[in-house]
Amino acid sequence: MTPGIYGVLFIVFAPLFGGLVAGLDRIITARMQSRVGPPLLQPFYDAGKLMQKDSRQINPVQEPLLLAHVLMMAATGGLLLGGTDIIFVTFMFALAALLLVLAAGSANSPYSFIGAERELIVLLASEPFFILMMAAICKVTSFSTFETVLGSNQMVALQLPGVAVAFLVVATIKLRKSPFDISMSHHPHQELVRGLTTDLSGRLLAYVEIAHWYEAALLAAFTVLLFNWNLALGLAVFAIAYLFEILVDNSSSRVRWQAVLYSAWGVTLVLCGGNVLALFMLGR
Amino acid sequence: MNLAAIYATLLVFPVLVGIVAFLIDGTSLRNHLVIGGSVVVGALAIATALAFGGSSSVFFGLPGGISLGESLIVVEIGLTVFTIAISLWNRRFLAPILAIAQLAISLYLELSGRMPEVDPQELFWFDGLSLVMLLIVGIIGPLICINAIGYMRAYHRASPQLKGRRNVFFGLLFIFLAGMFGLVASNYLPLMLVFWEVTTICSFLLIGYSRTDETIGYAFRALNMNLFGGVAFSAAIALLAGQPDGLDLAKLTSGPAGAALLPAIALLALAGIVKSAQMPFSSWLLGAMYAPSPTSALLHSSTMVKAGVFLLLRLSPAMAGSTVGYLVAFIGLLTFLFVSLVAGTESNTKKVLAYSTIGSLGLIGGCAGIGTPELVWAGVMIIIFHALAKSLLFLAVGTIENRLYTKNMENFDGLLSLMPRVSTVVLVGIAGMFIAPFGLVIAKWTAIRAFLQVPGAPGAFMVLILAFGSSLTIFYWGKLLIKILAGRRETDYERSIERRVSRYEWITEGTLAVGVLAATALVGPLSDNVVGPWALGALSATPRVFLAIDPAMLLLMLSAVFFLPALAAWSWRHPQYDLADFYASGRSATPGHVMGAALGGIHRVTLRNYYLEGVLNGSFVFNAGTVACGGLLAAMVVVGMVVR
Repeated sequence: MTPGIYGVLFIVFAPLFGGLVAGLDRIITARMQSRVGPPLLQPFYDAGKLMQKDSRQINPVQEPLLLAHVLMMAATGGLLLGGTDIIFVTFMFALAALLLVLAAGSANSPYSFIGAERELIVLLASEPFFILMMAAICKVTSFSTFETVLGSNQMVALQLPGVAVAFLVVATIKLRKSPFDISMSHHPHQELVRGLTTDLSGRLLAYVEIAHWYEAALLAAFTVLLFNWNLALGLAVFAIAYLFEILVDNSSSRVRWQAVLYSAWGVTLVLCGGNVLALFMLGR
Repeated sequence: MNLAAIYATLLVFPVLVGIVAFLIDGTSLRNHLVIGGSVVVGALAIATALAFGGSSSVFFGLPGGISLGESLIVVEIGLTVFTIAISLWNRRFLAPILAIAQLAISLYLELSGRMPEVDPQELFWFDGLSLVMLLIVGIIGPLICINAIGYMRAYHRASPQLKGRRNVFFGLLFIFLAGMFGLVASNYLPLMLVFWEVTTICSFLLIGYSRTDETIGYAFRALNMNLFGGVAFSAAIALLAGQPDGLDLAKLTSGPAGAALLPAIALLALAGIVKSAQMPFSSWLLGAMYAPSPTSALLHSSTMVKAGVFLLLRLSPAMAGSTVGYLVAFIGLLTFLFVSLVAGTESNTKKVLAYSTIGSLGLIGGCAGIGTPELVWAGVMIIIFHALAKSLLFLAVGTIENRLYTKNMENFDGLLSLMPRVSTVVLVGIAGMFIAPFGLVIAKWTAIRAFLQVPGAPGAFMVLILAFGSSLTIFYWGKLLIKILAGRRETDYERSIERRVSRYEWITEGTLAVGVLAATALVGPLSDNVVGPWALGALSATPRVFLAIDPAMLLLMLSAVFFLPALAAWSWRHPQYDLADFYASGRSATPGHVMGAALGGIHRVTLRNYYLEGVLNGSFVFNAGTVACGGLLAAMVVVGMVVR
């Protein structure tokens, strides 16, 4: 099969994957809190319901921005699996995330605006890591597309232990899990109400959810890249990492945005930067 | 007509227009002259490009093979006397010393008979890079001149206390363009130095246009720094005069420089770094933005700083692989990183634009210093897209500034509702600068890929710097975008603001916006026919694919660039921001951001971007960068001179 087909498959099936992950997330979170939790397919029911509801828009540019956000997220994943350069994919990934920031910011309301600003901080905190990670993968394998990295005989994670550990921290930020869920808390009563999505409703909110499913699928694909020698291992690591994220999410309180920036940049500089420096010095 | 004749016309004509513009006092007559002159200059530039055609490299002299004789030294004396006079008039004493030092070097070379004979047929050198630069100067420059007609009218209306000297302003703009035309096609280094100094003095006079104490201070800062660069350039010429073919730029940069040439290459690189306002010399360009916006647009996009990176790219084959090259690259890349950090803490839109310019120039410096074919290709691509997008942004922000009386990003709240058409233009510029794949994204991507091939620790640091620097660009552009797109319910008065923008501004900013989009759409042919062949030729490299993008990427990237401007254009006719009230914890809230409080009180809510307070101190970071790059620069000169 040509890589292009994988790209199309991603665009079609990634929401399914991401939605199921979200459903599992909610069940496991509930069990951790001694609750039963919703059915596995609840995220899909939610999205379906949101699609049918009226949506109140504050600013007419919000809907186009959010649609572009979903499409861009989907396209980013499509390009990644479809054989585009993986470093280039990180730029598109950031651009996709920026569109959500703009949609929230354009509401120009207190909660949305602060959520948007904080999401921008999140972007600033996480983007250097993704660029470095992809660059390091290219350096290790001397390949630059998803398929060729998977076909490489170099075991990426073994040469990039620092990057793999840093991934755990940065993924927490990207998945908007505590202690890094500064832009959008999962519970309506908390400090920012719903942050980014405060002024989004109906299908607009559904777009955000679907884009987040794509985002989760993308992070899974990134994990697979790190554990390139075995697809099942990569997905298993993603599952374990996600469980870990849920645990941390349930056992920590939210930090300030400064702490997000410090910890993400610190981890990126020390673990990732150190790892990359070692790679270059050893002449890989 | 042959290339030499058209090119000579291109050199002389703007000077004549400039002199006449200077002499004309009547605004209306001068406006006609400016428009006519601009059109002719643009046409001449295009004619020069057509006469050059598809050749890869052409050498020529003045028409009829006239030799330069003593004319260069005469012009240099004239420029020096002028510099000294105007400096003493303003009681500044550093500039005269630098100017005299520079003249002393030239006079010594001339009088001691050390200057080698120059072939009058090899004064000028035209290749792909000159072509790109010539078209940038020749098309963007005249558009800025026309734009300035509308801008300056509004500028003087907004600041009635300033004495109108618009004849001087327009005269200088045209002479500046002539200086650039000469610079980008010079092959004989002493000739290039004369044009180099013409641009220095023109920018000095343009920065100090309003003649307030503040702008005079900034003007002299620019003059001092650039004269210092000029002294380095002169010293390089003195070192090269003793070398065979040393003053022939094409031969000098035909391959890696030997140990004998490296000191001069380091000095020339120093001159290029000063002119392109890289750290530690960034402060002159930041001061320059207190000048009228067309000056900023000109300095930032097509002239001045581009002359600096032009020289660095020219030197690239000579310094690639040497320690000097590595140091030039690190100065550039650290400049990119530091100014990107500072830009995140800045709310003055023009300053943000200025930092972004310096960052882009640093990136080009980084590309030139390492000098692989992919990197010099990326460097030229950044030059093209940055010139188009940044001139547009400066002109548009100038238009906004003169109507809203502010350049603070925070006051651009709801710009899309207030000035939808101007906003569209701004969004084209931002898309072209940073969303645009072919602006910085492709260049950054290419640069990271190329830096991965740099062996050892330097390669690792380059990749690290780029990863952090490019993330920071998202942060500061993102904040500006949020403010522009923010919803706002405008008053009737506010709705009328946009109608006061002059047609000169509409025509030029519209043309530039179309230019940005066209260049984006035509990036493939541009790379395949112009930039790619030049990069291969300059480095005598084997053919390769520079623009490694597939159709899916191309489609995605094009839609990404066109999306925001299209969104803005769509909202021209849409009522903004009164679809629904926002959520305010159950309190009553209006789009005017007045929220009800307890006991019938009201709160006015202000929403302000994050400027990383408490995390980053902008001036500290700027100074740290200046010190770090200053150290590297000193190392570069020492390495070039002593260690080689």
